[in-house]
Amino acid sequence: MILNNKIFCFYFSLFIGMVSFSQEAKEKVKDTLTPEKLEEVVVTATRNIRQLSSLPLPVQLISQQDILRSNVVRLNDILNEQTGLITVPDFGGGEGVQMQGLDSQYVLILVDGVPLVGRSAGTLDLSRLAVGNIKQIEIVKGASSSLYGSEALGGVINIITETPTNGFKGAVNYRLSSFNTNDIGTNISYKKNKLGMNAFINRYSSEGYDLIDNDDLNTVEPFSNYTLNTKLTYEFSERTKLFLSGRYYRQDQENIASSNLIGESAINEWNSHLRLSHVHTPKWTSHFEFYATRYKAEEYLNEDDGTRFSDAYFNQLLVRPEVRSSYRFGRKSNLSGGLGFNHESLDRTSFTETPIFNAPYVFAQYDGNLTEKLNVILGARFDAHNEYASQFSPKGAIRYKLNDKIAFKSSLGYGFKAPDFRQLYFDFTNATVGYTVLGYSAVPSAISQLQEQGQIANLIVPIAEFSSELKPENSVSINLGADFKLTPKWRFGLNLFRNNINDLIDTRIIANKTNGQNVFSYFNIDEVFTQGLEFNTTWKPLNKFKISAGYQWLMAKDKNAIQAFEDGDVFARESPSEPSFQLRKEDYFGLLNRSKHMANLKVFYHIPKWNLDTNVRITYRSKYGLFDSNGNSYLDVYDDFVSGYSIVDVAINKTIYKNYQLGFGLDNIFNFTDVQNISNIAGRLIYGKLNIQF
Amino acid sequence: MNFSINNQTLKINNQRSMNKVVQFLTLLIICVVFTSCGDDDEVPLLEVASETFSNLHAPQTGGQGQPVAGAFTKFDFSSGEVTTSDTAWDIAFRGTSIIVNGGNSLGTTDEPNRTGDAGVYIATGTMASILEVDVNAFQQDSDTGYAIATGSGNGWYLYNPQAFLITPMAGKILVFKTRNGNFAKVEILSYYKDAPSDPDVTTDESRYFTFNYVYQPNTGITTF
Repeated sequence: MILNNKIFCFYFSLFIGMVSFSQEAKEKVKDTLTPEKLEEVVVTATRNIRQLSSLPLPVQLISQQDILRSNVVRLNDILNEQTGLITVPDFGGGEGVQMQGLDSQYVLILVDGVPLVGRSAGTLDLSRLAVGNIKQIEIVKGASSSLYGSEALGGVINIITETPTNGFKGAVNYRLSSFNTNDIGTNISYKKNKLGMNAFINRYSSEGYDLIDNDDLNTVEPFSNYTLNTKLTYEFSERTKLFLSGRYYRQDQENIASSNLIGESAINEWNSHLRLSHVHTPKWTSHFEFYATRYKAEEYLNEDDGTRFSDAYFNQLLVRPEVRSSYRFGRKSNLSGGLGFNHESLDRTSFTETPIFNAPYVFAQYDGNLTEKLNVILGARFDAHNEYASQFSPKGAIRYKLNDKIAFKSSLGYGFKAPDFRQLYFDFTNATVGYTVLGYSAVPSAISQLQEQGQIANLIVPIAEFSSELKPENSVSINLGADFKLTPKWRFGLNLFRNNINDLIDTRIIANKTNGQNVFSYFNIDEVFTQGLEFNTTWKPLNKFKISAGYQWLMAKDKNAIQAFEDGDVFARESPSEPSFQLRKEDYFGLLNRSKHMANLKVFYHIPKWNLDTNVRITYRSKYGLFDSNGNSYLDVYDDFVSGYSIVDVAINKTIYKNYQLGFGLDNIFNFTDVQNISNIAGRLIYGKLNIQF
Repeated sequence: MNFSINNQTLKINNQRSMNKVVQFLTLLIICVVFTSCGDDDEVPLLEVASETFSNLHAPQTGGQGQPVAGAFTKFDFSSGEVTTSDTAWDIAFRGTSIIVNGGNSLGTTDEPNRTGDAGVYIATGTMASILEVDVNAFQQDSDTGYAIATGSGNGWYLYNPQAFLITPMAGKILVFKTRNGNFAKVEILSYYKDAPSDPDVTTDESRYFTFNYVYQPNTGITTF
């Protein structure tokens, strides 16, 4: 904590230094006005519409065109191709995204600015989201709790869906691919005068696939899901507008535990989002927003004779009213703020109670251009909570445009993630193995119950330790970067990042059971950091030819582990039956499931003569560890690793009669699989696609 | 060995450049040591040897919820052999349990009575790095538990529930006091017959201990 304060102070002084430096340069001659093309804009970084290229934060944008050209159907497919992002399967089969080396549970996922819920084990499964009605995807890296509160510790991904534009428009698309995977959908939009409407319907189904042959289970069991999203916009006047969106998602999947334990699982999710926007004066705008969402997952297993073996359910509700306002002044400067209230509840199997979280919050942000060349963002948010200590999350960012070719940017922010329901209220005993996992708040009552039943052999952590609150996980994140526009056709971006995470919650053994197993609970124990370098470059020598490349170097380590290695407390064996030896500091590899190197290369080529669009996309991930295989509880260089790999995708799209598009492609053309370690890579996929616009 | 200790003492004293009293004391100590060295020459120290014992079979019955039973396989450090003697043993094995001939019986079926003064503690290090005995660290078995705790990660082994494998923890050296008060250090290498380099629970027989050990045959010497 002391160290963090020092870093904070250091960067703030650097920050102030840059401000005063730039004020000296204020009197320079103004740039001559140069006509600019229609610029890409994003809303996630500041909660106001902002030019992507002028932001002081590391932001990535995925356009609708990129999604269409890649022929992807689910969100995880497209995110996986972005620099520094990787989707990682969890044990429940969900695919969450890792950003700047931080897990899915530290990345907030928004749809049109409001969050998705339903993280049963921390991961938010991105394959839940169809991409057919996405206008663009905005990715903000670095802690963003100053605007978004809990979960925005590593960053924010905001999925912006299409809103109605004038006239009647529609599209139908169908894609058939390996494993009898069918994706069919339509998107219809209508707008006339004051009224706009939009409907998106998608059905996605697959027979699943099996990587390991000689067992009763498939790697992915057959499933089918539906997404329905309708939107309505209405302009009461020039100044008052209504936005109403309803989304419904349902998935059914076979649930198979063994040859004689078979059942089904179902997910039902709905989101309703209402927003009334009002322009008070040309400079002052307000939004009144109401959002509610429910995520419900149920599953069961039946024995051979039809009797019920197990039932599980997860039912989460989030209700959030929010009011925010923004005021423009001066040189494109902006003052905005808002307040809101989160009400959350979760009804779940293995919970001691049905907990309710109530958390009011308030935030404010200044976004100003102090000079033509200097943009500063200062913001903060205060989150109160009925279950844990309130959080104050400041953030500052600065961008200095040296000249038309080079701009420097830097941001420093605080991020936090509140302990989730599971970490507080879980009371779970594994039926076959016999271990127990208890939420922090559930410990006192559950332990005394186990003691009464004579199941506790000895207590390792005294119960009294659970009287204080479990603290939110928190981090200080620093980003330092530069954008280079070397020629009009060549862009280059560089970003250095560091996330210092404190009070990381992890499980620890709190008692031994009489059956030889242990009782686990959650603690603030770990201090970890992730740091690295990211670069992106785009080169577009011709209108029909574009190359983009990206690379991330990452180091993600646990500070206590580094200490243990330095102290010489860590040992290993070359093979299980050989004498052990002491490990050195450089033998520590880092956190699980983190690759040191990740890279991507994409080549897009358009052949106007044939109306043909082709692209080749390559992603690379270097080796990583999935678990400590030599039992010293740290990932060291003597552990078993998952080898690095590359995936190459090829797509060809041909447009006929302007409105018809035929697509064909091969994902994972070299048929890479690692059946033991990587469950979400099924091997080569062949697909054909048809898209009709009207 | 004694001589080297004294050299150290000498060096430290010189470094501290203490007064003549210290020099006198040092001389006195050297004299005493030279006399004792003379004594040692008459009774030479026994050689300390590093040994490997392979496939000590430690069967048990019961377990997994059933009461554990079956005779312990006893081991005597001074002979380096398995023994069936009721008293002349130092440590004994049954399944994953290792007991010492000191303290009290936990009272399980077929558990031998403790007749000696053996004890044990688990040191962190390697066979090469554990060179001295911490004489205050020894624990003995008791009616509430063994000195070497049972269960994965608590004592000498880890259990991998995916592969159902028992593997000895790296960097854990069992330091024993024998029933007669001598010392020994042990590194367990394998729980499977013939110590396979990549044990497989479906083909390799378990409850066969292979371990490296060093026994200090000279009574009262706390180094290896």
